[in-house]
Amino acid sequence: MTPTLVAVIFVAGGVVAAGAFGAAWRRDASAAVASIPVMFAGAGVAFAGVARFAAAGGQHLLGQELAVLLAIAALALLGLGLGIAGRESAR
Amino acid sequence: MDSLHAIGFYVSSGVLILGGLGVALMPGRDIRGLAMAAAGAGLAGVYLSLSAAFAAIVALVCYLGCAVLVAGPGYRSVESVVSPMWRQVGAAGAAALLALLAYVAFRGDFVTARYSAGPLDVGAVANLLLAHDTLATEAIAALALAAAAGAAAAWRMRDRAR
Repeated sequence: MTPTLVAVIFVAGGVVAAGAFGAAWRRDASAAVASIPVMFAGAGVAFAGVARFAAAGGQHLLGQELAVLLAIAALALLGLGLGIAGRESAR
Repeated sequence: MDSLHAIGFYVSSGVLILGGLGVALMPGRDIRGLAMAAAGAGLAGVYLSLSAAFAAIVALVCYLGCAVLVAGPGYRSVESVVSPMWRQVGAAGAAALLALLAYVAFRGDFVTARYSAGPLDVGAVANLLLAHDTLATEAIAALALAAAAGAAAAWRMRDRAR
């Protein structure tokens, strides 16, 4: 069973849904922030899948570039959020 | 995509989804950090099977960093308290956005010209999702709707139990 764009979008939707559920479910704000990189992972999978399957002729790297950007943004956002939470709780 | 890539894609997807659910549901921050690392490994595997090796390396490094942040000693729990007034403001804003979207849907119109250029050839993607695999696309939409409704219902039940 060869994966297609539909399978990739299914996986991306499931990962985004898991992250959104974690962000809404957690009462602890730090744990909710930790779910945001999971949502970004789902978006990155969708972008990489579109770049893999929709490219007709030649290399189209925009989707992969966006996936890289989302991974870096996820790390930065989590560091910023946990840093702010640590400062606020230390007061 | 050969069978080895297909197996790698499905196994990595399972690891990614299980890791994401672990981040959402697991109680301790150590376990959540491990789940985040597993999600990063699964994400890197998915990128590799999609021929995005550089993105896989960057994602693995970044999500391992996320796991260290979640499981590290600098993690602090913060109980969020949102006042009812801000919840009402958010609900009113969402209702206003819905009304705006409904107005646009009734009064607006789309350009009928076909545009198939662009770096991702979005016209081909639209044809694939909305003409060839319509049922699967609608199943994804139903999955997303059920997830959002379930999350909202669970949130309200937790609020009511307080």
